[in-house]
Amino acid sequence: MAILEVQHIEKHFGDTQVLSDISFSLEEGQALSIIGSSGSGKTTLLRCLNFLERPDHGAISVKGNVIFDASDPSTQAEKDIRQKRLHFGLVFQNFNLFPQYTALQNVTLARELLAKERGGEGKEDIAKAGRELLDQMGLADRADHYPHQLSGGQQQRVAIARALALQPDILCFDEPTSALDPELTGEVLRVIRSLAEQKTTMIIVTHEMAFARDVADQVIFMDGGVIVEQGDPREVIDHPKEERTKQFLSRYANG
Amino acid sequence: MFSFFASTEFQTVLSALNTGFVKTLQLFFVTLVGAVPLGLVISFGSMSRIPPLRWLTKTVVWMVRGTPLVLQIIALYYVPGLKGFHIWSGGESGRFTAVAVAFVINYACYFSEIYRGGIQGVPVGQQEAGLVLGMTKRQIFFKITLLQMIKRIVPPMSNEIITLVKDTSLARVVALQEVIWMGESFMKGNQGYAGLVWPLFFTAVYYLAFSGIATILLGKLEKKLEYFH
Repeated sequence: MAILEVQHIEKHFGDTQVLSDISFSLEEGQALSIIGSSGSGKTTLLRCLNFLERPDHGAISVKGNVIFDASDPSTQAEKDIRQKRLHFGLVFQNFNLFPQYTALQNVTLARELLAKERGGEGKEDIAKAGRELLDQMGLADRADHYPHQLSGGQQQRVAIARALALQPDILCFDEPTSALDPELTGEVLRVIRSLAEQKTTMIIVTHEMAFARDVADQVIFMDGGVIVEQGDPREVIDHPKEERTKQFLSRYANG
Repeated sequence: MFSFFASTEFQTVLSALNTGFVKTLQLFFVTLVGAVPLGLVISFGSMSRIPPLRWLTKTVVWMVRGTPLVLQIIALYYVPGLKGFHIWSGGESGRFTAVAVAFVINYACYFSEIYRGGIQGVPVGQQEAGLVLGMTKRQIFFKITLLQMIKRIVPPMSNEIITLVKDTSLARVVALQEVIWMGESFMKGNQGYAGLVWPLFFTAVYYLAFSGIATILLGKLEKKLEYFH
């Protein structure tokens, strides 16, 4: 069974329709890349999954449970949304690390707050897990640095560790390398690639076509708020069927 | 010169000014303790998603910031009594309470605008990062936004705090016996001295010393918060 099922999602901002009839599903352990030009609705889609925006229509199910249905208010209770968000992790384009906390504290803060509420893990266990995650990101020696002391690529890797710390079912990336200098994108892409190899379920909004093709099990091309084409990355990226997909990809080939 | 500092005149004036300055400090600290949290409440009101609450708060802030503090002190102290509501007890303690209430309200309104700027200056991405990590709004405010806001507001708050030290002298208008009132008293006649002009001007030493200390402490706080950007 699919770990994530998105059905007929629609979203308007005022009179502008930013998403229409978005449906797709994702299997556990798979990586989905979403490509498309700016303004095509990719980011809004991720924000809908993370409950930062609320779809006007449609439903979202995780592991067979409907966690959001626009036509069923009982799935939208404010108090449950916090819990539902934890199915997803989100890595932002601009990292959004907390500047007043060290790399390690950034990773452990939310987990500590949750543990305090629910009991369970002690502070030391959480710190240990946090250090392991930073180590996995190649940042073991940066644990006590503050964000402003880190490069963009390092900050983004801390942000990935921070999202992983809560063990989300599905990790979402919103153009994780777009805010980085070109020479720093490699280190972040390497980390995401290794997560894919470990069968982390991921949705990656990206402009890195080669990366999307290599890492993803599935690609969605969006344009004007609709899914134009979706399928195997080698098919969609190397042999697009739709005219709009061809046009979009040709800009990358020529650029 | 040194014999003057040892003279009875100097000692008498000094001890009176000290007493007055204690009153000044009391007003200063009571205002801070009241206005710092009240300002936060007002700033939440002015950012409220409920329009009537937002308009009401903004109107109050406009009226308080748009009229002189000295007028507010006079109004708050005298108007209830003129209308037959004797809410302030007589004498110095009644005057102090009335003045303190006026100061707290006035400064809370100024602080609220500084806070609002500080809160709105924290990028919205910070809040969103907290939300996707499953934090409550409350946790986000106290664990993420608050310190970043404090860092942003320290310089403008320092300005207000230095102004507050000097503004306490406005309490003189209802004859609260703060340091300026004490200084003036030696012109009119106090403890056998009259026509002395220097005590009034000597009060400047107190203000300078206090604002000097405040500047140093606030500068230290600013430095302390430099560990993050």
